[in-house]
Amino acid sequence: MSSKRHSILPAVSAGPKPPVHFSSSITIAESALLTGTNLITISSESVIHPRAKLDSLAGRITIGRRCVVHERTMIGAIGTSGKVTEQAVTLGDYATVEVAASIEAGNTIIGEGTTVGVGSKVGAGAVIGKHCTLTPHTEVPAGEVIPDFTVIYSNGMRRIDKRGVADLKNKGQARQIDVLRRMIPTNPAKFA
Amino acid sequence: MAPLNPYTYIQCPCSDSASLGRPSDATSPTSADGDEEDNAFDPRAPRANFSLYPLEYLLYCEDCHQIRCPRCITEEIATYFCPSCLFEVPSSNLKSEGNRCTRSCFQCPICIGPLSVTSIEAPPSDPSLLVPDRAGTPHTTYSLICSYCSWSSTEIGIQFDKPNSIHAQLAKIRNGGASRLTAKERKERRKELSHRGGEAALAASSEAAAGQDMDLETQFANLKLFYNSQLADPNAGDNGFSSLGDLGFSSPSSLSRIMNLYTGGKLHDPRAKSKLGAMREAITADEGLLETDLDESSLITQLHQSDFLDTASSTQICSQPPNLGETYIYGAARFNSSLRPVPYLLRTKRSKRCPVCRHIISKPEAKVQTTRFRIRLVAGSYIPSITIRRLNLPGPNGPAAPAILGDLLEPLKPVHFVLTFKNPIFESLKVTLGAPAKTPGRFPSKVTVLCPQFDIDANTDVWDEALKENDRESSGRSRRRAGTESQFQVEVGKIWERGRNWVSIIVEVVPASLKLEPGRDVLKQDEDVLEIPMFVRIEWEAEGGGDDAASGTGRDKDQKEKKELAYWCVLGLGRIKQG
Ligand SMILES: [Zn+2]
Ligand SMILES: [Zn+2]
Ligand SMILES: [Zn+2]
Ligand SMILES: [Zn+2]
Repeated sequence: MSSKRHSILPAVSAGPKPPVHFSSSITIAESALLTGTNLITISSESVIHPRAKLDSLAGRITIGRRCVVHERTMIGAIGTSGKVTEQAVTLGDYATVEVAASIEAGNTIIGEGTTVGVGSKVGAGAVIGKHCTLTPHTEVPAGEVIPDFTVIYSNGMRRIDKRGVADLKNKGQARQIDVLRRMIPTNPAKFA
Repeated sequence: MAPLNPYTYIQCPCSDSASLGRPSDATSPTSADGDEEDNAFDPRAPRANFSLYPLEYLLYCEDCHQIRCPRCITEEIATYFCPSCLFEVPSSNLKSEGNRCTRSCFQCPICIGPLSVTSIEAPPSDPSLLVPDRAGTPHTTYSLICSYCSWSSTEIGIQFDKPNSIHAQLAKIRNGGASRLTAKERKERRKELSHRGGEAALAASSEAAAGQDMDLETQFANLKLFYNSQLADPNAGDNGFSSLGDLGFSSPSSLSRIMNLYTGGKLHDPRAKSKLGAMREAITADEGLLETDLDESSLITQLHQSDFLDTASSTQICSQPPNLGETYIYGAARFNSSLRPVPYLLRTKRSKRCPVCRHIISKPEAKVQTTRFRIRLVAGSYIPSITIRRLNLPGPNGPAAPAILGDLLEPLKPVHFVLTFKNPIFESLKVTLGAPAKTPGRFPSKVTVLCPQFDIDANTDVWDEALKENDRESSGRSRRRAGTESQFQVEVGKIWERGRNWVSIIVEVVPASLKLEPGRDVLKQDEDVLEIPMFVRIEWEAEGGGDDAASGTGRDKDQKEKKELAYWCVLGLGRIKQG
């Protein structure tokens, strides 16, 4: 299935194979797409779903520990500026990027424990704090700095999450990763 | 400009005050020529908007043989239910408990998302200890949490001891977590104190009341108590027989109160007036006096320290349920941080009645979970539906271009539309159409209904028809499909096509030219839409005795009763090309 897909889309698969630095405990689906010229680092126990796309053309991509990157996400998209920076995208530990979300390159930082909701867009150079929640279809403009524990909801309304459940959420993430590791066949060798 | 799909709207006869409640009669026109033109329905008239409905919106009264629209039916509430837990609320509860769910269904005060009850587990102090030294498990409390915007009731300092009956628990908790007495509890406490008797107990109670912040409910209860005692007191001074009991029905004060209720308080008993004069006002908090707190400095400092997003929007404030536990009426929730969870508003299932004959037209199944209807007389199963298709006839020089819906209409060039009438009932229908020769409005287009009178066969069993199909194939019907459309001529007085329970006819339209005098006027909104009013009159024979139109195949023809129905409808055909 995945090989078929590659033959249909030669432009994508023909991209340069990026240098990678994987922890031995990560789970990465074979059909994930890694392209670009800069280093892609994925730290321990993180999960990359099938057909997630990581593009390091505009700089290095670093994914922290126990992150989950869902299907059809686009990490390191070259935005309108097209600038190349040393560090394109950094995902803190326990970050989750949900289905079809896209994170533009250019020193963009997603903080620890932050969830980027379904179909959200994070602009180039945005710095999102720790344990934030971007609800589905949120758009964060380029260069925006979002403080820790912010919830962005309903077309850009913001509030602070005062539940104090960051630890619980992290525990939940770890449990979810346990399940995902059994569900997603991993093949890091393909990208090495 | 957005392409326009052809549409049919039907005018409910109720908008015509003369015909309200009875089947329209003598006024119905029988021919398409000019005599009805002066009272033709104008779909562009400002009032027309309020009486035109798609067929799907209309109901039908079988007894009056009349169309009923949402404006001319009376509604009755069948059941009240909570949209969240689908619990049916008895209507007797509504008066006492209000129109909100009193179980555990709440909406987020910030984003209106549903709130869920979540347990907050206090982290065990020493997880290695298998047997906790305190009795039982560590105390678990519950909070309401919004999974969308992460709002939690702990933000306003509210936690619950039990995961169920949150509504009752919430009524006893003030923002910040302080508990309050409900009216019932306060009454009981008062009773208890008075039973114990003595000045000391009363003093203690007043002290307690003063200590507790006076909220709306307390204030109202105190005031009520005070005024009741005031109404009783002067009576005792004036009349000698007060000892007979102030609360009895025979007491003059009670009588005068009751009389006031009936007379709307206008005709005062002079004695009652004098009594009112003898009353004094509340002077202590115990009697319900509430001093206005004019010191708003703390609110102002809070405003200084917060930004715009911390303040509650007017919609958020409006959606807040009345909170009887509010400290006082001033300083109602202004900050997001003081908004309380919103219990779900109840919804209703309604049945609909004909206002004339009181028969039920639509009645939902009483059970909340089912979406079925017990009775539902929709107009679509009584009157023919009309669908519109554009017909492109070949011109003299070459074949026709395929007709595309939503195409603009060329001005002053005749176009043909196929109107298909489909009969939903089990009797054959006689249809008479009437349309003004020119559409009303500033840009009159010419309209000709080529076949204004025709019959539609009954909506018989599909399979019966399929078996008969072979015979028909040889005769009239098949000729339509045999050739291509180009071989067909549009003929006046002839049906275009006919099927089991449908008939297609042709309407010829010459769209007006939308030429405006330069600089004088502009085209109004949707003035380029070609809409033709059409008067439809249907006649059929129903079984006598007012019975429903059943499959009348084996019945005696003599018992049949002639019925008719007439109404205006509007056919939206398309937009006319400008310039
Ligand atoms: Zn009506
Ligand atoms: Zn409910
Ligand atoms: Zn919410
Ligand atoms: Zn009726």
